[in-house]
Amino acid sequence: MFAVETLSLSKRYGKTDALRGLNFTVNEGEIMVILGPNGSGKTTLLMILCTILKPTSGTAKVVGIDVVEDGTKVREVMGIAFQEARGFWRHKPSSILRFHASMFDIDPAKRQDLIERTMKDLELWESRDKMFMHLSGGQAKRLETAKVLIQKPKLAIFDEPTSQVDLRGKRKIWDKIRELRDQGSTIIVATNEVREAEYLADRVTILHQGQRVVCDTIPKLKDAIAGGDIVEVDFEDPVSEKLVGSLNGLGGDVSLSPEGNQLRAKVSKAEDWVPKMTSASYVAGAKIASIRITEPSLDDVFLHFTGKALADQP
Amino acid sequence: MNRVLTLAAYNVRMLLSLRTWFVLAWALFGLQIAIYGSLMSKLVSTAVPNYLFYYAIGLMVITVFDSGAEVGRHFVEHAHEGELPYFLSLPVSRGGFLAAQAIYGVVNTMIKVLPPLIGVLWFVGDLTVQGAVFAMISMFLLGLGITGIMVSMSFIAFKSVDLYSAFLAGLSALIVRFSTVFYPLIFMPSFYSPISVFSPLTYGADLTRWVLGFDPNFLLNPILAAAVVTGVAVGTLSLSAKIVDKVIEGVKAA
Repeated sequence: MFAVETLSLSKRYGKTDALRGLNFTVNEGEIMVILGPNGSGKTTLLMILCTILKPTSGTAKVVGIDVVEDGTKVREVMGIAFQEARGFWRHKPSSILRFHASMFDIDPAKRQDLIERTMKDLELWESRDKMFMHLSGGQAKRLETAKVLIQKPKLAIFDEPTSQVDLRGKRKIWDKIRELRDQGSTIIVATNEVREAEYLADRVTILHQGQRVVCDTIPKLKDAIAGGDIVEVDFEDPVSEKLVGSLNGLGGDVSLSPEGNQLRAKVSKAEDWVPKMTSASYVAGAKIASIRITEPSLDDVFLHFTGKALADQP
Repeated sequence: MNRVLTLAAYNVRMLLSLRTWFVLAWALFGLQIAIYGSLMSKLVSTAVPNYLFYYAIGLMVITVFDSGAEVGRHFVEHAHEGELPYFLSLPVSRGGFLAAQAIYGVVNTMIKVLPPLIGVLWFVGDLTVQGAVFAMISMFLLGLGITGIMVSMSFIAFKSVDLYSAFLAGLSALIVRFSTVFYPLIFMPSFYSPISVFSPLTYGADLTRWVLGFDPNFLLNPILAAAVVTGVAVGTLSLSAKIVDKVIEGVKAA
């Protein structure tokens, strides 16, 4: 059984299709990152999974429970950290977490300890008695994450969990999300931050215009695109067009810098291509100064599968 | 059930953190009775004996109306401030969520109305547990009906908050002014007394006065009043339960 399964899931707002026949699955105990620009349908999908929105058509199940037919049961097994952290202006973080813990039947004897530990882990303990309206954006986001962490749900959903959070805070949140996965929760993270996806994902689903474009592990996604590796070669002197032509014949996409001494190649497997390239260079009398091998980023993956850069999206 | 009560208690704690407003509401009630009520009482005392008592109950009924309207606004504010998605993600049924809102409304109403009610009954020398309890039940039923109306109307707020505010102001003006909160039906001019029978406040106010022993000659038939107040409460709350399920589809999702 999948932890999450949607079948031909569609959601329409007026004349706009937010989701278009989405088929999507999440395995138990994995971190599934949904990567997509704003407006790709990420939040709509999450809102349907946590039963706040109803699909226009299709079905969605969480641990086998239909989100439309048995919403209350779904809400018992899932927790969500919303994209925009909101709270009543006078409430204090400690009381917000106590309320959340009581709604999810966290053992009263363990509740206070759990809340204290989680707040300390997320560096919220000093702010426990501040009013919600006095929290910074980053603190409010961490509080949102803390709700799910104390709950330890079967399915934990994080919608852009580290937007507005500083780099140190991001690392802490990411580590806590991984820890939650290691404790047995299934996790969905929606993000448009490539670094977040790279750090967290067991698998990535790329969502674009309400449809699933591709879903796989990050290494497989990178390997799947032509130019899975990027090789940058510096030559001591400008190289001949003839060498560039012969390197192009080795497979991949080779481009030369205007100065003529730097070469950038997108190749499927650098470990196969580099020895062939060095031999060809040796034969052509071109002296290599340095070689750098890098992987394409998820930005490149997104560009490859959607034809558009992630950062350029509205 | 436990979770519904926990959710209601959370909202009530939020309410109690604003206790200054309650003190101000009671003070305003006292001032209104002491100045406007007593002056009016002197002016109309020949037509309506003990008008001050009549007026005080009318003022309490208006407070119940305002309190019910506040629950509707509270619901809309939750939605617009982004808290509604959180509440809707909690493991309570939609009916349970509405019940928690209703409990919040009842507590809000009790806090605002009970001290003035006891004060007024004590002042007129008619303070009995039985009278206070029945008056509260009557106003509680009316409050539920008003809450149901306001929550049912909240779908307007999902289209436009301005339109919702304008609609509430208009509705408030009609329901309060065209009712018997301040004037007995028998004294109303014929060109607008028929409108009064459409205001639930007419029935709520007259029923409350009847249970407190006011002269029945100035009031509607208490059985009719009780039936209408109960019917409005049940009907509008059922309607609001259905509407809320549709309305939450309007919750913003990027």
